[in-house]
Amino acid sequence: MKSQGFISRGLVGVLAAAVVVAGITGGAEARNIKVGIVDTYSGPPAVFGNDALNGFKMAVEEINRQGILGGKIEFVTRDDKFKVDIGLNMAKELALKENVDVIVGVVNSGVALAISDAVAKKEKIPFFTWMGKSANITGKAGHRYVFSTTENTAMATKAAATVLARKPFLRIWVAGDDYEYGHALDDSFTHYLKQLRPEVEFLGRTWWKLGEPDLVPYFTSIQAAKPDLVHFCTGGASMANVLKTIQATGLHRNTAIYIHTAIDYAVLKPLGLNAPEGVMGTMDYLFYYPEMSSHQKFVKDFQARYKTPPGFPAYHAFLTAQFIAEGFRKAGKIDREAFIDALEGLKVDSPVGKVEMRACDHQAVLPIYFGTTRLSQEHQAAVAADILTLRGAEVMPTCEEVLGARK
Amino acid sequence: MESSFSLAAFLGQFLVGLSRAMILFIVASGLSFILGVLRVPNVAHGSLYMIGAFAAHAIATALGNHPAGFWAAMVGAPLIVGGISLAAERLLFRHLYEREHLMLLLFTFGLALILGDLTKMTWGADYRSIVPPPFLQGSLDVLGTALPRYNLFLLLVGPAVAVALWLVSAKTRFGKIARAAAVDREMVGAIGIHVSWVFAWAFVLGCMLAGLGGALVSPTISVTLGMDHTIIIEAFLIVTIGGLGNIWGALVGSLLFGVTQSLGVLVLPQFAIVFPYLAVVLILTFKPTGLLRSVW
Amino acid sequence: MLWALGLWLALFFAPLAAGRFTVYLLGVILVTGLLAMSLNLLVGHGGAYQFHHGAFYGVGAYTAALLITKTSLPAWVGLAAGPLAAAFAGLMIGSLCIRLNKLYFGMIQISLGSLLWILALRWYDLTNGDDGIHGIPLPEALSGSGSAFTFLLAVVGVCLLAMHRILESPFGTTLRAIRDNPQRCAAVGIHVRRHQLTAIVIATFFAGVAGVLFVVLEGSVFPDMLFWVLSLEIFIMCLLGGWFTFLGPMLGAAIIVLLRTVVGGFTEYWTLILGVVLILLIFFLPEGIMGAGHRLRLYRRRAAGPPSRGGDRAAG
Repeated sequence: MKSQGFISRGLVGVLAAAVVVAGITGGAEARNIKVGIVDTYSGPPAVFGNDALNGFKMAVEEINRQGILGGKIEFVTRDDKFKVDIGLNMAKELALKENVDVIVGVVNSGVALAISDAVAKKEKIPFFTWMGKSANITGKAGHRYVFSTTENTAMATKAAATVLARKPFLRIWVAGDDYEYGHALDDSFTHYLKQLRPEVEFLGRTWWKLGEPDLVPYFTSIQAAKPDLVHFCTGGASMANVLKTIQATGLHRNTAIYIHTAIDYAVLKPLGLNAPEGVMGTMDYLFYYPEMSSHQKFVKDFQARYKTPPGFPAYHAFLTAQFIAEGFRKAGKIDREAFIDALEGLKVDSPVGKVEMRACDHQAVLPIYFGTTRLSQEHQAAVAADILTLRGAEVMPTCEEVLGARK
Repeated sequence: MESSFSLAAFLGQFLVGLSRAMILFIVASGLSFILGVLRVPNVAHGSLYMIGAFAAHAIATALGNHPAGFWAAMVGAPLIVGGISLAAERLLFRHLYEREHLMLLLFTFGLALILGDLTKMTWGADYRSIVPPPFLQGSLDVLGTALPRYNLFLLLVGPAVAVALWLVSAKTRFGKIARAAAVDREMVGAIGIHVSWVFAWAFVLGCMLAGLGGALVSPTISVTLGMDHTIIIEAFLIVTIGGLGNIWGALVGSLLFGVTQSLGVLVLPQFAIVFPYLAVVLILTFKPTGLLRSVW
Repeated sequence: MLWALGLWLALFFAPLAAGRFTVYLLGVILVTGLLAMSLNLLVGHGGAYQFHHGAFYGVGAYTAALLITKTSLPAWVGLAAGPLAAAFAGLMIGSLCIRLNKLYFGMIQISLGSLLWILALRWYDLTNGDDGIHGIPLPEALSGSGSAFTFLLAVVGVCLLAMHRILESPFGTTLRAIRDNPQRCAAVGIHVRRHQLTAIVIATFFAGVAGVLFVVLEGSVFPDMLFWVLSLEIFIMCLLGGWFTFLGPMLGAAIIVLLRTVVGGFTEYWTLILGVVLILLIFFLPEGIMGAGHRLRLYRRRAAGPPSRGGDRAAG
């Protein structure tokens, strides 16, 4: 009987909550701008979701001190659990029930593409992805209602190809996580490198399943082929596995290695001083570079609040908040269409300088940093050294290329 | 595609496959042991493996990554996992043994859901990494292939665990009672043996193997949430092809799994992961109860 | 059953009366509920350890999605092919599993179902792997959200009717007899395995229908639909609503979907809550809400005496 009481009370609770949620519809005048965040707060990618949320909170607090159009930015968060169905469910709830003005977030490219199509485009709600790195989001599958405030696979690999084409690497091996992100990196890097240096030779490719615990068997077969350069197409949790295996097998001692985001502090920090040195990588944000005062202040503030330096998700989310604030200010009213028109070509201040929202494809023009891992006693971890900066305009696909792909 | 298909490369790759099989074996043997004695497919096994890895990291970090910390972690992590599983068994699980298997399976699923979130509450979502002691770092040149020393270390640990497990189940009183209770618990109860505690220790022993697997794997991978989901399916497959509840079957299954994949990498890297699964389908088609005799 | 029919008819007016999100949620509940009911056909009524039912849901959805996006066939063909493909997969996997009993049946099914999952996840040239397939174009008649809901409701209604007829037929009676005592059934000359295999094909067909309806509802498919976690979550829905009742799994699905939407909005520890709910159910309400309600009514009718035993007779 006790259990039935629990269940029936639970049911009443559910119904009551449903009624309450149903009651909160519509909005007041001279109102706040309502932002709905769909992101991953559970599972391994939560490390990105939480970092982004921290960056967004910090930006919103600052923005709300001045206010926008007489109101403030308020936001609600929803956990997509890195799953497409839950992400869609949550985005629809934000759009249809919470009536948010803007949807932002999303680590998972699959979720980003699904929301972009089924919610942003269909319901005509502006959607910013600050973490979804598939170039398709603002490329092939782009449209009026979707924006990206993160670099994507095309930008990162074009930057890397630009640098690596000048080096004496001719025999190349590709290896990585067998899923969309890994293959997107490979396709794009191979395309740009062949374009810039037609004589390169791709010896072979090795793919392992995402989350594969032991990579040593794959490495031993790569070593046997003796390539000049290995391009690892990986990210997130498997990145640490790749770096550990590089260190354990000593692959970096006789072969050059390039991995996008290998110089990410979140990846290198857990490895401490046991990380391999000399691995080349690309990033669009490093908290210790460039050393300009606005940036140092941002990092200091962030560290004071959250006891950890900002990662790239925090920077992207911070930047997204600036675009939302400036976009509505420029539009002069809380209107989705006017907001989108205002965003196109808009330049906002960010800790590392002005960032433009490209009008033709709604892709933020971000620089890409190319660096090499080197152990730092100061950070007790490897950080990027010999950093080269490639401007966004150099590494982004042209407007013609993007619009052609969309056709 | 040019992959040098020499005998040396083949042997090197085979050794690597063996070392990978050792981790799989340690985890799968625990799953198989519980299956054999309690007849429950323990879905929470993967979560306990994950907790083992997180606990190993916590212990190693608490001891300042001193080499002794590594060994403390290898011993401490399975003990922590054992404590958790003992609590779950005594407080909840033991009340369910009279119920049908579906409820037992669903209980372990509930446990997996809860442990997954508790791991996150306790340790957070950051990536973690453990440094093995210096003499296990780096690689050794074996037949022209650079084999990480840590993998060679695993090649020693795996058989040691297999022998220990065999001794426990075949030579000790506990092992004999556990096996007898699995066949006919009323009978064993009737001759005055406290079956409930035998089941409890069998469950704890199986779970500790998951914890040990998690601790041993932690220096080779990044310890993260979600590592429970990947291991459990592989462990299920291994136990199924080996013969449910048969420890040696778990060993055969793990070797098959590890080595087919490792050699698959050499032949057709793109499709390496498919080889173990193909092996599973073939075995189940022709020998549905697995390679070795199932204990029931 | 009359109240259920009335509720079903009333739901057709939902798009006129309720908000769009409510209608969408109703759609999610109907699809998930149909999936749970198709599983219960096998587990609650058939006594089979169908551990990886979600795999067939995924096969139905992927078949529809692939035929619509990769071929020039009319979209209706894709939608119709989904359930057939799921039933075919059910036949293939079922005839491998059926040779074995109980737990072995379940373990082999999890293994083979995971193979399908690996396929969806890794054959990215075909399936887009991890990203899934999005923006699947639907027939004109289904593209409005109101008309999609009407279609969903109609199809789910027809399926429930068909399942009810099947369970009330001699075949359904035989199935329950096999569940309760397979040895005796075999002894009186019933072909146990053939009946069970038929039940698997029927249940996987309806799982395929649920998969196709998911495509109609969301316009997307992705590999998680075939992951083992989903399959066990459907079990929770059956358990919550009631194994031995016809509509119980639908009720269970409704509660889980609502809980997930409401609670999931407030906490990131939804999984923990689901786990606690599951364990409470196992201990205190093993017959589920409708099962307990049913027993309560029996108990009152008899006015005295202990309630009839029901709980653990399940898939045992």
